[in-house]
Amino acid sequence: MTVMDEKTLRSIIEEVVNEFAGGAPRGGTAVATAPSVSSASGSLRISEDGPAERGINPREVVIALAPGFGGRMTSTLIDLDHGDVLRELCAGIEEEGLSYRFIRVFRTADVGFIAHEAAKLSGSGIGIGIQSRGTTVIHQKDLPPLSNLELFSQAPLIDLDTFRAIGKNAAKYAKGESPSPVPVRNDQMARPKYQAIAALWHIKETQLCDAAKKTQALRVEYR
Amino acid sequence: MTLIAGIDIGNATTEVALAEASAGAAPAFVASSIVPTTGIKGTAQNTQGVFAALTQALDAAGRPLADLGLIRINEAAPVIGDVAMETISETVITESTMIGHNPTTPGGLGIGVGTTVPVDDLPRLSPGTPYVVVADRGHGFEQVAAAINAASERLDITGVILQRDDGVLVHNRLTRKVPIVDEVALIDKVPIGMPAAIEVADVGRIIETLANPYGIATLFGLDPDETASVVPMARSLVGNRSAVVIKTPAGDVTERRIPSGSLQFVGERSAEVDVDLGAEEIMRVAGSVGEIRNIKGEPGTNVGGMMEKVRVVMGRLTDRDPGGIEVTDLLAVDTQVPQAVTGGLAGEFHLEAAVGIAAMVRADKLQMQRIATEMTEQLGIAVEVGGVEADMAVRGALTTPGSSVPIAILDMGAGSTDAAVLRAGQQPRSIHLAGAGNMVTLLIQSELGLETSEDAENVKRYPLARVETLFNIRHEDGTVQFFDEPLPPHTFARTVVLHPEGMIPLPLRQPLEVIRQVRIRAKERVFVTNALRALRAVSPTASVRDIAHVVLVGGSALDFEIPQLVTRALAEYRVVAGRANIRGTQGPRNAVATGLVLAWEGSR
Repeated sequence: MTVMDEKTLRSIIEEVVNEFAGGAPRGGTAVATAPSVSSASGSLRISEDGPAERGINPREVVIALAPGFGGRMTSTLIDLDHGDVLRELCAGIEEEGLSYRFIRVFRTADVGFIAHEAAKLSGSGIGIGIQSRGTTVIHQKDLPPLSNLELFSQAPLIDLDTFRAIGKNAAKYAKGESPSPVPVRNDQMARPKYQAIAALWHIKETQLCDAAKKTQALRVEYR
Repeated sequence: MTLIAGIDIGNATTEVALAEASAGAAPAFVASSIVPTTGIKGTAQNTQGVFAALTQALDAAGRPLADLGLIRINEAAPVIGDVAMETISETVITESTMIGHNPTTPGGLGIGVGTTVPVDDLPRLSPGTPYVVVADRGHGFEQVAAAINAASERLDITGVILQRDDGVLVHNRLTRKVPIVDEVALIDKVPIGMPAAIEVADVGRIIETLANPYGIATLFGLDPDETASVVPMARSLVGNRSAVVIKTPAGDVTERRIPSGSLQFVGERSAEVDVDLGAEEIMRVAGSVGEIRNIKGEPGTNVGGMMEKVRVVMGRLTDRDPGGIEVTDLLAVDTQVPQAVTGGLAGEFHLEAAVGIAAMVRADKLQMQRIATEMTEQLGIAVEVGGVEADMAVRGALTTPGSSVPIAILDMGAGSTDAAVLRAGQQPRSIHLAGAGNMVTLLIQSELGLETSEDAENVKRYPLARVETLFNIRHEDGTVQFFDEPLPPHTFARTVVLHPEGMIPLPLRQPLEVIRQVRIRAKERVFVTNALRALRAVSPTASVRDIAHVVLVGGSALDFEIPQLVTRALAEYRVVAGRANIRGTQGPRNAVATGLVLAWEGSR
């Protein structure tokens, strides 16, 4: 596991402090056009494609990104490239024979609500919500927003294999199969070690929210 | 007027019947109670449970402990049951000749035959022979697909074996489609440069060629002797959706019988039987020696160890020398247990033959007297041991509305199945047999491969359902039930047991119908077998047909389907069987406790 080095940490802290001190939030509307992210399979490019619509395809799983994912932020807490994360989620879904669709939620940074939005728009009723730091939820449209099918709350412990398994399980739920929940490691040290960074991360993500902006459909490309 | 408590200490529960009794009048029952038995039946730990049950009944009647004039406990028809499982066959793969697991998502369709090669060697290979590509987890699906696509113009590639769960992903990216088997955990052990055959069947289908010895012979050009040697391999691939067979010079798949030792029955005659001959043979031999006095396992073998363990546990609990403990009955049941295949490359499981054994120990007759003495000291109330358990059960069962002498009872408990027959003017005849509710739990647990006996207990006790959406479930009989509120998320898309306190999801992949069949078969093999065995033993003519009425009592008679299974089986012998309703209010519970109170008058 890559641990964030001091320099990166410092730069994040400075950025957040600046934003607080500077007062005015950046830009009136959040824009999610990403600077290019380099990854093994080319750089991730995410662009908006109009308001997200409710799907009718029962074979799809909708993946909802938090405001900063693959945009202002480019990797998770443990430095996994956002492009690689999405690639593994999609591979997990494709391996089960289903299709996927991306949306971005702007009105909240809460991963439960993001995932629930995905589930409500998904033709299968199953959605995945993911925050920039890596926290992920599998949701079902009939559940209350704060409930979930599977929650991966400890972002520092989610590696690429786990993301693949999350995509796979979401697809299995969509097919009406009963997957065993994805095994998650537990590490008591993850909390003290990452809590401060995770909080900063969340503040950043929250600042990118825009209560007035509708959920957008996304085009995700690797160039 | 005396307040009397009849207390029945059973393998699973301790039951109390509380009654006002006065000379010359029928006792008036005022309260009943039931609590789980503490410790093993017939041991000193029981007193805690007895005290709890007694308090519960007295509270319900609103009477203080001081009012109690007499306690009568059962003479613990001195049986203690224990269950164990012994696997008697195992499948062994030598030299990695076969991959027979069932990945949920293999890729492609059909059959491919070729020589195994690592994916990295593709650019160096010369065309002319067909190849089966082997790729480990170091190669991503895009990389594997690109390498195969690049080579497929030049080479004849007929199949792919993958370590990661990438079958469909690679398949979607191939220009020329081939069958793909994925999730092969120990891919390093796949022999390279050997002829291999891959078969993947369509969704919902099973492979046909590799599960057929002649199919394998056709693909590899085997002679008759070699064909005979692939029979175990073909057999162990039956029912799979995908498989790989690799032809190595000395590779083989064998089914080995595990020598598990022999059992020796000592009765009016003596006889010995090998455990690996299976349950039917064991039970036949058990029935041939007359009344069994003791059963021994062959020392130094698995079954010997098992019987020894029963003796040691019982010895410790009853504070006696293990050597002096006699096993007086045994029920053997054939079963199948999922076991990891030795030498398997992908963590294959195979259903192996096993024998489940319930053993019963004749405990010390003095044991109950000792408990009685101890209770008298603790409570300061007279405690007496009253009558044989089966006789008491008959007396209790006769309080069922509509029953009369002659009567037979079948007491189906947790540890043992007991039967007794009472005819007018005769002493009751009774028998105790090993194998009851606990044995059913063991069979369910091992056949479904459940990790905890708690899950197995739940499967045994409650009906199943499938959660189809968060608002509806489908019951095991096919009916649909809707809910206004969403069900808890952890039950979504799962097979659940309908526990009264809420649905419990099962950690199982098997379809609901399979789980249901395992449950029903386990109950039939224990309770129907034992019902017939017991009734035969107490029938005056040794034939089940000569018993007209059978009343079912005991905890297992409360089960939602065991009484029906037994009723149906006994109907074939023209025997009327049904669940008791003790005192018209207690259902099949409390028979012995009630009988103990009723017997008090007779005993004075």
